[in-house]
Amino acid sequence: MKKILYLICVIAIGFTSCFRLDNNLYNPSKETAYLLDSYTGDVDFTLDASYKIPDSLIHVFSLQSQAPGESSSTTIYAIYVGEISKIAIDTVIMYCHGNKCCMDFYWPRAKLLANVGGKNHYGVLMVDYRGYGMSQGTPSEAGLYADVDVCLQWLKSYGLTNSRLMMYGFSMGTAPATMLTANPRSMTPAKLILEAPFASAATMADDASQLAMPGSFVTSLKIDNAEEIKSVQQPFMWIHGMDDTFLNYKTNGMVVYNNYEGTYKEKHLIPGANHSTIEIYYGFTNYCNDLNTFIRR
Amino acid sequence: MGPFLFELLFSFAAIMKINIPGLIVAITASALLFSCAPSRLVRPLSKGQNVINAELGGPLIEYSSLTIPTPLSSIMYARGITDNTSAFGSVHTTSLLFGNIQTDIGVCQKIYYNDSLRLGISVNPALNMVCSIWDGSFKCWPEADLNFYWEIKPHKSFVYIGMENWFELSQTRAEDQPQTTHWIFCPQVGYTYSRTKWDYNIELKWIAPNIPNLPNVVSYIGISGNGALGVYLGVTRKF
Repeated sequence: MKKILYLICVIAIGFTSCFRLDNNLYNPSKETAYLLDSYTGDVDFTLDASYKIPDSLIHVFSLQSQAPGESSSTTIYAIYVGEISKIAIDTVIMYCHGNKCCMDFYWPRAKLLANVGGKNHYGVLMVDYRGYGMSQGTPSEAGLYADVDVCLQWLKSYGLTNSRLMMYGFSMGTAPATMLTANPRSMTPAKLILEAPFASAATMADDASQLAMPGSFVTSLKIDNAEEIKSVQQPFMWIHGMDDTFLNYKTNGMVVYNNYEGTYKEKHLIPGANHSTIEIYYGFTNYCNDLNTFIRR
Repeated sequence: MGPFLFELLFSFAAIMKINIPGLIVAITASALLFSCAPSRLVRPLSKGQNVINAELGGPLIEYSSLTIPTPLSSIMYARGITDNTSAFGSVHTTSLLFGNIQTDIGVCQKIYYNDSLRLGISVNPALNMVCSIWDGSFKCWPEADLNFYWEIKPHKSFVYIGMENWFELSQTRAEDQPQTTHWIFCPQVGYTYSRTKWDYNIELKWIAPNIPNLPNVVSYIGISGNGALGVYLGVTRKF
C-alpha cells in the first residue's frame, strides 16, 4: 500500500510539467507560396469580381523581425495592397489577421478593406506573423507585436505618418492591434478598429468554465485587451457579431468597449453574425461605408 | 493517459488543419480541467478499508465534428474512518499537466440506510482546491454531493442517482466583471460493478443544466442547449 502511494506521489510530481496551452492560441498553416485569389482552401466569405485587386497593386515582400530579447531576426512575409509610391500621401490600414492559416485565408478581408471608400482608396498592409504562411519561425506573443511593428517601420520608411495610420485587428489580431495602439513603438496609430475582440485569456477561461478562475491556471499569455484599451486615447471603433458563439460579445468586446476612456468610440453590433461572418451579416457595402465614415471623421 | 490524449487531440487538429480558433483548445482545456469530476465516494467504506481510484472522463464537447469526452483524469485515495464515514483526497492529474496542483478533499457520510431495501443516502462535502505553480494563484470551491444508492446485492454492486453541487464564492471574475453564477449543480446517475478487490464505475452527468451552453468558446454537448453531458469511467482497487 505504501509503495503504491509513493508511486502515485512520484507520478503526480512528474506530471507537474510545463504543459501550457499558450501555443494553442496559434493555428498557423505553412505555405510555400501565396495564392490569394487562386487559394482553394476554406475562407469565411468570398467577394465578387467587382472587388478584385489589380495585380499591379499587390505587393508581396519579406521583412526581418526581431522581438525584444531575441538574438537574431526572423523572416516574415507581408502583402501591401496599393501603390507603394503613394504611401507617403495615402491613408493606410494596418490589418492584423486572426489566428488561422495564413494571409491566403484572410485575403478576401484584405480585399474588402482595399475597397473601403472606393477602389483602392486606402492602402492595406497585412502580415503573416512568424510561423504563419511563408513566414519563418514559431508564433509567440512577443513575436506578434514585433512582427506588426516591423510592418509599421516599413510603412514609416515609405513616408507614412501617424495621422494616416489606421490600426485594424480581427480576433487574435486584436491583441497586437490594441497593444501597439496603447503602447506605440515605431508609429502611433491615429485610430483603432477592433473586430470580434476578446477581453483576455482569463475572460475566456471564465466563460468556458462559468467559474471565476485565474487565467494563469492554463496559460502564461499576458494578452489583455480589456486592460490595454484603457491606455488608448485614439478614436476607437468596435465591431462584433451578436451571435458570436466563440467570443461572447457581452463578456469580451463589450468589456473592451466599456473600458475605453479615449476621445471617441463607436460600436457596431451585428445581429445574426457569428465570429467569422460579421461582414456577411453587416453587408459588404454597409461595412465599407461605416469603416470609411469612421476613418474620415 | 492524460498527456497522451491531449497530444493526440492537438496532433489530430494540426494534421487536419482544423479551424479551431486556437483558444478553443485552450479554453476547452481550462474548462475540462476544472469542471465537475465524478462522485468520489457514493457508498462509505468499511472502517479501516483503503481504496485507490483512477478516473477518466469529462464533459462531452464537439471537436472537429467529433463528439468526444474531454480527457480529464484524477487519482483518489480514500479510507474508511468509521463504517458510516470515509475520508478521501484526490490529485487531478490533468491539472498537473498544466502546472496546477488540484485536489478535492472531503468526506463521504452515510446519512441513511435501509437494510431491507438496501437503499442508502450519502452526502459528500468537500473542498476543491487549485494552486498554480506558475504564479501561486489559488482557488477553492466548496462542493457537496448528495447521492441515493441501491445495492443490487447486499454490499455488492450498486446503482446511484444524485447531484453534485459546486459553489463559486467569488463576487467578481476576470476584468473585474461581476460573477453571476454561484451555484453549479450536476444531476448524475451511475453504476458501480463491485468485485472482491476491484470496483468498476461508470457515471453519466449533466453538468450545469441551468446554464445555456451558447455562446461559449467551447462547443459543449448539452441538452436543449443547456449545460454539458459528462461521461466518466473509474476503476478502484480495494485494500
